[in-house]
Amino acid sequence: MDLVTDLRVALGVDNVLVEPLELYLFSKDASLMRGEPHVVVFPQDTTQVAEVVRIAETHGVPIVPRGAGTGLTAGASPTVGGIVLVTTALDTIEIDADNRTAWVGAGVINLDLSRAAGPYGLYFAPDPSSQSACTVGGNVANNSGGPHCLAEGSTTSHVLGLEVVLTGGEVVILGSQAPDPPGLDLKGLIVGSEGTLGVVTKVLVRLLPIDPEVRTLLMGFAETAGATTTVSEVIASGLVPAALEIMDQRLIVAVENWLHAGLPVDAAAMLLAEVTGEAEGVDSQAEVISTIARANGATSIEVAATPEHRELLWKGRKSAFGATAQLAPDYYLHDAVVPRTRLAETMAAIYEIADRSQLTLVNVFHAGDGNLHPLIAFDASDPLVSERVYRAGEEIVAVCLRNGGALSGEHGIGVEKRDLMRAAFSELDLDAQARLKEVFDPSRVFNPTKVLPAGSRCFDYGGVRRPAADGVWV
Amino acid sequence: MPWVTDIHPEKTELDSCVQCGLCLPVCPTFRLTGRETASPRGRLQAMSAVDQGVAVVDETFARIIDFCLGCRACEPVCPGLVPYGRTLEGARAEIDAQLPDRERQLSFLLGRVVPSRRLLDLATGLLRLAQSVGLIRLVPARMRRMVGGVRSLWGRGRATLGHAGGSGVSGSVGLLVGCVQDEWFRPVNRAAVTLLELAGHRVEAPVAQTCCGALAAHAGKSEIAARLAERNVSALSGYDQVVATAAGCSAHLAGYAHWGGASLAGRAVDVTVMVSEAIRSGRLPQVDGDRGPIAVQDPCHLRHAQRVTREPRRILEAAGYEVVEIDPAGMCCGAAGLYTMLQPEASSRLGAQKAAQVRTTGLTRVASANPGCEMQLRTHLGDDYEIAHPIEWYLRALQSGG
Ligand SMILES: Cc1cc2nc3c(=O)[nH]c(=O)nc-3n(C[C@H](O)[C@H](O)[C@H](O)COP(=O)(O)OP(=O)(O)OC[C@H]3O[C@@H](n4cnc5c(N)ncnc54)[C@H](O)[C@@H]3O)c2cc1C
Ligand code: SF4
Ligand code: SF4
Repeated sequence: MDLVTDLRVALGVDNVLVEPLELYLFSKDASLMRGEPHVVVFPQDTTQVAEVVRIAETHGVPIVPRGAGTGLTAGASPTVGGIVLVTTALDTIEIDADNRTAWVGAGVINLDLSRAAGPYGLYFAPDPSSQSACTVGGNVANNSGGPHCLAEGSTTSHVLGLEVVLTGGEVVILGSQAPDPPGLDLKGLIVGSEGTLGVVTKVLVRLLPIDPEVRTLLMGFAETAGATTTVSEVIASGLVPAALEIMDQRLIVAVENWLHAGLPVDAAAMLLAEVTGEAEGVDSQAEVISTIARANGATSIEVAATPEHRELLWKGRKSAFGATAQLAPDYYLHDAVVPRTRLAETMAAIYEIADRSQLTLVNVFHAGDGNLHPLIAFDASDPLVSERVYRAGEEIVAVCLRNGGALSGEHGIGVEKRDLMRAAFSELDLDAQARLKEVFDPSRVFNPTKVLPAGSRCFDYGGVRRPAADGVWV
Repeated sequence: MPWVTDIHPEKTELDSCVQCGLCLPVCPTFRLTGRETASPRGRLQAMSAVDQGVAVVDETFARIIDFCLGCRACEPVCPGLVPYGRTLEGARAEIDAQLPDRERQLSFLLGRVVPSRRLLDLATGLLRLAQSVGLIRLVPARMRRMVGGVRSLWGRGRATLGHAGGSGVSGSVGLLVGCVQDEWFRPVNRAAVTLLELAGHRVEAPVAQTCCGALAAHAGKSEIAARLAERNVSALSGYDQVVATAAGCSAHLAGYAHWGGASLAGRAVDVTVMVSEAIRSGRLPQVDGDRGPIAVQDPCHLRHAQRVTREPRRILEAAGYEVVEIDPAGMCCGAAGLYTMLQPEASSRLGAQKAAQVRTTGLTRVASANPGCEMQLRTHLGDDYEIAHPIEWYLRALQSGG
């Protein structure tokens, strides 16, 4: 039988899409790069996912797992066609409040998990800015971080176990309730593998107790360096704030234009800081942060007065990428990490690159982690501009790496950052990763051409070279 | 040119979506299906595909757009300020123009019956008869889903159309009585007249007005919508404010700029905003006494389309009720204009969800500021629940003497 018929028999006609326009809506994620799916499927449980894997292997067709499609590196874009496997129907949540854990379906939305855990006084710590939309499966695949991962660590620190469908449709459970189960940490391998080793169907997550008190500070600075220096001095003082986020002026204005939250639109940069814990502790910590900020030239310092105000501030921060739509129809975003102490000089260098290339660059980032998100807002329909955007992107990454940084803090590599892997890893490193991939995916169906650049192994990994013509950069 | 009407979705409108996906979780149809084909981002991409010539307006496109409730929950969460509701009206108009054989009876219903006082009176008379002799079963199934939740039509008082009264010290108000609103929800209009006059307004409901055209616009009947708007713009000119008592109507009036009625759009206000403002400024009283808890439901066209949420609550609190929230997300109840009729399955799943939210409060009193929502709630909650507009709850408290 042909591929589509096999899939229809396994999943039911309703759970298999083939109409060209319908397929088109699954052709990209939140990045710029579009692919062409052959078919889109909605497996309803783990068994059906296993069926799809077997069918894909029989027909030699790639599988591209997709959660909510909020990824920023084209990880869920079917750039070489194939089956887009959507996980949204895997939406079960089973909370074990006594052990502070939960088994959740890969398609559960991050924030829904925290909402479900709320009545037990618990929450799921990783909070990517896209948390209202992105799935736990996507978080695992990209090892996503978020503002509050400064104190609590990224997704991998909160995953205790995984149910994964591997090659041959084999369903395995990796990891367990025990903090350090015996044997190799295979679960650790899957976290961050971006769908290239198998399909995650369920996740055993660790839940944390909700903090009794929280203080959120909003600080405006006349100079960006004042904000970045405040961040490194706060950390040097020994405090571990829950979050330290910086946003620059253009974005402050765009977000304020939409949200009306009273953000400091005249400031060159704003710093959003949050401390959590017992009442006394948080007040004194907030005081320390304010003092440091004042010493570094803060022009305004405000503490969120109500839970609603706090929520509004975070909503502004977390919607910042979307607000760039007010600046230009497309954005191209990097996700490099640099040591905190080198934030100020790196930022200055990045702004200089953008100015020189005559591009609109904005920045909103997890300053506490040194995780920059320089974002270029542009119109992709102009090929000349697109070329400049691409060049500037490469320069930005080079600066970050030179300053002791890494290619990606949390968004993953996908296709968009794939060819930059060579700048960050040696031939030997890439070869080792490619061998690992071969072990897990001998039939090469799991999200091929993602993460590892073509030629990482001695054979060409079936990859296109940078698809400059119609991809990210354009 | 892939589009044929002059209100088609514009490239600039579509380009303002950066596909971040932040609108997905608030979209009821995405929540029901988990599919991009039923999400705001997906629908915008489908429109873009047509705009770019990658796709055409065909049955697949129509199916994707048809399934949208038009609840506009995707708008307030969109940091890119994408005017989704506007593009939706454009897409619907295109479907209507390019696939003319679909839903032809709708043109008759929306273009002839609804704007005609005489035909609507006739239909209402028949409905009342059916209600009284328990023959509601005889109403065709497709219609019954919509009208099953209509209030009892007995003893609903004089029509407000043609009314004129009040001092006018607080300014003049042109009251849009609405098509079904004045037939089936007349007490709401009567309450509006009483309260606005009490607050010092001159209130007039000129007979030259007609249906606001929201139902037609949302169904892609753009010529009908434009014709109705034109009539209202002239009938309701000259008033300081134009007030509607159904959230669906006030939202549509506020968007009249797209229908050649910018002069009216700027003066359009929902009645909850007027009454709440009158209470705040002391022109209407705070009613003494504690009237206990009441559940409040937010119509999408108030909450999402007009971002009005505080006002209905203020009114209820001023009447001595304790407001109980049923849904922090403000998800659509599935009524959505003609959706009950056109997409019965999705509509009834959303209706059941909303009813369940009310039931968890354990309360039987519900405030809802839109006729469609009220009918849907009644259909899914049954007759043991008392559902009325916030201004009716307020007026009742006032009349029972605080
Ligand atoms: C506005 C905005 C803000 C963001 N903020 C942050 C942030 O603060 N921090 C951050 O880290 N990221 C952020 N992101 C990026 C993105 O939201 C995260 O990477 C998120 O975890 C992706 O989840 P998703 O469900 O959308 O996954 P998708 O985009 O659907 O997929 C992402 C990758 O995971 C794979 N995948 C998905 N599900 C599975 C599965 N079940 N099994 C195997 N592989 C799977 C896909 O193949 C793909 O490679 C942001 C994105 C946006 C649009
Ligand atoms: S939130 Fe706005 S910009 Fe983002 S995908 Fe939805 S419509 Fe597009
Ligand atoms: S209007 Fe409502 S149903 Fe339609 S896309 Fe927006 S949120 Fe979804």
